[in-house]
Order: sequence, then C-alpha cells, then structure tokens
Amino acid sequence: MLTIRDVRKSFQENEVLKGVSIEVEKGDVVVILGPSGSGKTTLLRSINFLERADSGTLDWEDIHLDLKHASRKDVALIRKKTAFVFQNYNLFKNKTALENVMEGLTVARKVPKKEAEKIAKEALDKVGLSERYDYYPSQLSGGQQQRVGIARAVAVNPDIILFDEPTSALDPELVGEVLNVIKTLAKEGTTMIVVTHEIKFAQEVANKVVFMDGGFVVEEGSANEIFNHPKEERTQQFLRRILPDYDYAI
Amino acid sequence: MSFNGAVFLSNLIEILSCLGTTFLVMVASLFFSLLLATVTVMGNLGKNKIFRSIARGYITLMRCVPPIVLLFVVYYGAPHLVKGAFGVDINQLDAIYFAIFALSLLHGASISELMRGAYESVEKGQREAAVSIGLSSFQAFYRIIFPQALVTALPTLGNTIVGLLKDGALAYSIGVVDITGQASYLISMNLGGYVLETYLALALIYWILSLVVQKSFGFLETRLKKG
Ligand SMILES: Nc1ncnc2c1ncn2[C@@H]1O[C@H](COP(=O)(O)OP(=O)(O)O)[C@@H](O)[C@H]1O
Ligand SMILES: [Mg+2]
Repeated sequence: MLTIRDVRKSFQENEVLKGVSIEVEKGDVVVILGPSGSGKTTLLRSINFLERADSGTLDWEDIHLDLKHASRKDVALIRKKTAFVFQNYNLFKNKTALENVMEGLTVARKVPKKEAEKIAKEALDKVGLSERYDYYPSQLSGGQQQRVGIARAVAVNPDIILFDEPTSALDPELVGEVLNVIKTLAKEGTTMIVVTHEIKFAQEVANKVVFMDGGFVVEEGSANEIFNHPKEERTQQFLRRILPDYDYAI
Repeated sequence: MSFNGAVFLSNLIEILSCLGTTFLVMVASLFFSLLLATVTVMGNLGKNKIFRSIARGYITLMRCVPPIVLLFVVYYGAPHLVKGAFGVDINQLDAIYFAIFALSLLHGASISELMRGAYESVEKGQREAAVSIGLSSFQAFYRIIFPQALVTALPTLGNTIVGLLKDGALAYSIGVVDITGQASYLISMNLGGYVLETYLALALIYWILSLVVQKSFGFLETRLKKG
C-alpha cells in the first residue's frame, strides 16, 4: 500500500536518516524499534511532511511523490490520508476534548457540525472518555490526553496512523490504558506504524518489526523473526539491553 | 498656602472636558500601532531577510529613543520630509496628527515584540498537530495558535495601553490640548497658581483611566482563558 524509499535527512552536518526504506500493507501493524537518536521520529515526521526529507520517494496506490519536492497539494493529500499521534500528545490547549477531535473533521474535511460531533463522540467513547467530552487538556491526566490524541487521529478515518512513542511521556501506571486502546485498534485491522520501546506490546501486536540504528534500517522481519531469531549483532545487543532477561534462540 | 478643595473640583471638571482628545490620541495610536506591529512581526518572523532587517532595525531604533525626543523629531521633521518627498505642505496640520503618528511608531515596535513573544510562547507541537490532521497553515494559525497567543499577550497588551495613555501626555508639549494640555492651560490662566490642585486632579484622572484599562484586560484574560 505505502512504500517509502531511500529517505535521507540531515540537520546541518548531522545525517539522521541515511537511506531508509519501509513498506506498509493494508492492515499492517509495523513496529519500529531502535535506540534513542536512531532517527525513528524523523522518519515518521518525514512521512507526514512535518519534516522535509532531503531525498526519497513515496508511493501510495496511484500517488508517486518525491519527498523533497512534493507540492503543497501533495502534502495536503498525504496528511489527509495519515494521522499522527505525538509523544507529548499536542492536544489543542484552547479546545475541549470533543473540540480537539472535531477540529480535523469540521475544519479540514468540511464535515457538517452535527455529523462531526457524532463521529467525535464515538471516537472518544471508543477510547473510554465518554465522561470527558467537555474537559480541557489541562484538566486531563497524561493517559487521558493521549487517548484524546488517539481519538483525534482515529476520527478523521486515516488510512494509516503514525504513533511516535505514544506512551513514553506517561507515568508507568498510565501506560497500560493507552496501550490497550492501540491494541484494540490493531485488532480491528487499523493500519499503523508504531515507534515504541514497549517490547511486550510490540510482540503482541506487530506483524512486522523494523529495527533502526544510526539512521539505517538494520534488520526487519516478522515479530517472531526479530524477537526470537534476530540475525544482526546490533539487534541482539539492543534486545539484550532493553530486556534484561532476554534469551533468544539462535 | 493651603490646599483649595473648591479649585481642585472645578479644575477637575475643566480638565475632564478635554478627555475626548486624550481618548482620541490613545485609541487612534493604538489602532495604528496594532497595524504597524502586525506588519512588523510578520517581517520579523518571516523568511525574507530584507524585511527582517527592516523590522529589527525599526524595533531597535524605537527602543533607543526617549518618547519626547521622537515626538519632536516627528513634529519638526515630518513636514520637511513630506515636503521634500511629495511637495505637500503639512505644516498647518493639527498637532494631534503628529502626536498620533509618533505614538504609533513608538508603540508599534513594542507591541510587535509583545506579539512575537506571545507567538513564540505557543509550542511548536500545536501547529504540527493542526497540520497533521489536515488544517492549512493559515487555519492552524487562526484557529489554534492565535487564540492561545492572544491570551498570553493580553496582560502585557494592557500594560502597553496604559503606557500609550501615559505617553499621550507628552502630546501637550507640541500643543495638543488633551487633559494634560488643559491642565497646564489652567495653571497659566491662574498665573501659576493652584499648581498642586490642578496636577492632583490630572493625576487622579490618569490613575482611574489606568485602573480601568488594567481591570478590563484582567477580565478579558479570565474570560478568554480556557482550561
Ligand atoms: N529539528 C532538529 N534539529 C536538529 N537535530 C535534530 C532535529 N530533530 C532531530 N534531530 C537529531 O536527529 C537525531 C535523530 O533524532 P530522532 O529522529 O528524534 O531519533 P529517535 O526518535 O530515534 O530518538 C538526533 O541526533 C537528534 O538530535
Ligand atoms: Mg523519537
């Protein structure tokens, strides 16, 4: 469905993505793993044009783009087909939970207000926030804010949802509620790319795992291949570090 | 020499008769300085290097000149400049226009800095979240960033308007008869008598006006603040 090829991106002298390719099929849950600084966030941001890649291509059904030169219209098109869930939620502070979720519908997609409200309420119900429609972000816990963030992404019915470490800003006791929401979405067949350090969660939901390090994709494969039979030394090191009692079959 | 309450009251009323001019100077200067500030902040934050240099140069220039000096420069300089450039004689123009022009120049710079601060106080992620769900840059600005920046800017904007009100008093030095102008006129009519009564009445008016401005902005802020 979506193919990103050979993405490169530098910040000044610092080359952060050194030719990364990634493929996503409909219904895929692609988990991206990798140490901090390996370029995972930059990759997701490049797909959604929050960052302009220096080179690379994007193919999506009949859309074929050069990431560097994509026009404003192409950018708008891709953004309508994707949604982003941010590490620090980025809820609109001047809007209630319901308004946060409605914004992409009424403003960006011109959905009539009544209908948008219905969709937004359904999305909030789905993430377990039916009691919090009229709360402002500052009145919600981190876990609740991130669930609004997910509802905001789900409501616009994107083809792919991009999650950038959706639980890493949360207190440990709030991680579970957010992961459960994402698991539910995964089971319903939502296509997504998830950057996460939650290995247990990844093992459970991923049908494809990509391990990145130093701006490269070091290794990719099924969850079973990567977690139980990693081929690359660097992947093994990473898993050993992140899972102290890790024991893989060679 | 004792304080004369009757003179104080009658002068208070005499001074109040010129309140309209003070308001006119304040409101007109505020209007034009907001326009000027908007253009300046756009230049300052925009990508064009020339516009940015012009905006920053203007801000620096205004920051480094005492208000009364700027007022005199405008009052005595502008007619020469306009005559030289357009051949139009504006020497007969009412002093109030020069006062409004000078105050707008002065406060346009400070308000543009206040706008920049408020804009930059809104996290980058707010804009990113907006465009990521399909809003255009313009929609992201007026629906998400501007309302948040406005709430941040309001208290400082209230202070700036009080500043405008106070700097407006300088206009009397080029002959504008606002409340300060009226007060000094009354003193000269009394051949320098009742100075304290007159200036105290004037100060009282400024105190009340400032208080009203500050309270209204405090009220606006609590009304607009969400969450
Ligand atoms: N806007 C930016 N400006 C400069 N350097 C950046 C910027 N964003 C990311 N980087 C750098 O790019 C590298 C990769 O960052 P990132 O994509 O966030 O990695 P990850 O998400 O895997 O931790 C880091 O070294 C980071 O400092
Ligand atoms: Mg990251």
